[in-house]
Amino acid sequence: MDFTESEEHALLRDAVAKVARGFGHEYFQEKTNSGGKTDELWDALGELGFLGVGIPEAYGGGGGGISELAIVCEEVAAAGCPLLLILVSAAISAEVINRFGTEEQKQAWLPGLAGTEKMVFAITEPDAGSNSHNVATVARRDGDVYRVSGTKTYISGVDEAPRMLTVVRTGTDTATGHAQLSLLVIDTDAPGLERSLIPVEIKAPEKQFTLFFDNVEVPADRLIGDEGDGLRQVFFGLNPERITGATIANGVARYALERAAAYARDREVWGVPIGSHQGVAHPLAQAKIEVELARLMTAKAAWLHDHDADRKAAGEAANMAKYAAAEAGLHALDAAIQAHGGNGMASEYGLADLWGMMRLLRIAPVSREMVLNYISTTSLGLPKSY
Amino acid sequence: MNVVVCVKQIPDPAVPGELDPQTHWLKREGKLILDDSDAYGVEMALQLATAAGGGDVTLVSMAPNGETSGLRTALAMGAANAILVSDESLKGSDALSTAKVLAAAIKRANPDLVITATEATDGYTGTVPEQVAALLGLPSITFAKKIETADGKVKVERQTEAGYDEVEAPLPAVVSVTAGVVEPRYPSFKGIMAAKSKPVDTLTVADLGLEGQVGAANARQEIISVTPAEERQAGEIIEDDGEGFQKIVAFLESKKVI
Repeated sequence: MDFTESEEHALLRDAVAKVARGFGHEYFQEKTNSGGKTDELWDALGELGFLGVGIPEAYGGGGGGISELAIVCEEVAAAGCPLLLILVSAAISAEVINRFGTEEQKQAWLPGLAGTEKMVFAITEPDAGSNSHNVATVARRDGDVYRVSGTKTYISGVDEAPRMLTVVRTGTDTATGHAQLSLLVIDTDAPGLERSLIPVEIKAPEKQFTLFFDNVEVPADRLIGDEGDGLRQVFFGLNPERITGATIANGVARYALERAAAYARDREVWGVPIGSHQGVAHPLAQAKIEVELARLMTAKAAWLHDHDADRKAAGEAANMAKYAAAEAGLHALDAAIQAHGGNGMASEYGLADLWGMMRLLRIAPVSREMVLNYISTTSLGLPKSY
Repeated sequence: MNVVVCVKQIPDPAVPGELDPQTHWLKREGKLILDDSDAYGVEMALQLATAAGGGDVTLVSMAPNGETSGLRTALAMGAANAILVSDESLKGSDALSTAKVLAAAIKRANPDLVITATEATDGYTGTVPEQVAALLGLPSITFAKKIETADGKVKVERQTEAGYDEVEAPLPAVVSVTAGVVEPRYPSFKGIMAAKSKPVDTLTVADLGLEGQVGAANARQEIISVTPAEERQAGEIIEDDGEGFQKIVAFLESKKVI
């Protein structure tokens, strides 16, 4: 077992950090507060191939995996610029298309995603949150098109992407009543598709939307993989989403601790730096330990996903990483704010504005409670309550 | 056109440096990184090679413990290969020894142009580029803020206190570049992956035929003692009564800044 970061991983981490720190949290705040988008940062990362690290070289990508994408995602967040759309675009959409798409589909979409294009992901519905079996957005086959009707909610970044990978119901299992799901790539400007902004208390440039599909026509060749096999395919994309979700928490936590440690080294109240008081130092040290543990599990989860060796172990690790990173991240950000005293709430110190994002990560991309359910049943063999 | 860039791998400047208490040499045991001031030279070399219609950019570096981390960064930017001189006997080398080693390594690459930074960020001697040029018997141009090559010549805008000089020399030549000569590129992921398999030729002092000429024993300088820099004094605080600007002007005049 070798825990030394490989030379190319270290170089990747360093290069991404340099690019992202050139923008920094002030840029992120400025874009958020003005209602702008972080296009300059996204494009800079995309043009250097950092968003497409996990896409095969044959389609213009870097030929790496989720391990490399996790490094990119964490370093960008650690620069104070957590980009949630990396999760849905590079982690889910690109992974699912690469794994299950036809050659034509890969040729059509992966080169764009290996560069600066985004593809967002739509699964959540008002009446089907964590229970994907209840998905009610229906796609009905009509000749060489599907006609899609229904509602999706909390769909991120629909205003920034030309296309979205959408989970639809193409049938019902008569025995269980469960939805038979399929994946369609739908244009975000398709006629009959309306969107409405959901105001949220997350200070980030990416916006969330409710989507209304009214008989939206989608060419049948936009189906990814086999009709009715969508759930299995989506599950394949969910591990990368959890892993990259964990990296956002890890990155923001590192950013917060870096800020707090610098502040605690410099700020003097009674003639000594406040960091010399254990009441200030220990919560930061404790958070540092928790964040490093979460990073370790995140790296393991990425490795297991990339090596495709043990699906159960990969699923467990991805869930544990996501859980640990969100909890450690909240503790770290909280400790960092506390170390700043009143300044912790000032916009200038760039911490409290990230609270909504960090708190979100306890809920999404999978809630803490669903992770605990999963670990209870899968890892501990306890009976399922739902 | 083949270009050699001399690059130094230095301790991370973000971490406070330490001197060995006995020898007063800079401790260089941990991981070393590419000196930021050399990234400009690497970028310049890549651009000049492209403008000349092709050719290789070769890195030349002297570093302890076979260190290649900093070289990989420059290889990821696009340099084709590297020559690394690493040898226990180089410990304690002074600037002239370093120049001898670099000059001997540069000869092997037989370049059309040699680019260096004006000085390294850890040592700040700032004499190595001129020494290398002298040892190689090549023209030396320092403090370049713009470089062009054409018709077997290098044309340089050379930064001066008052502005810049336009100077020209026949190739091959040694040119030191200032930070800001060009904006260094970030390595792309493809560049990073390609860097892994680019050749790094590791040489010893014996390979270069320099035994007994370099290292601490042959250094012409010795660091006798080291004194910490004076602690910064607290500044002077002037209450502004509406005439505060005059005091600022008087202060700046006394320092001959204005």
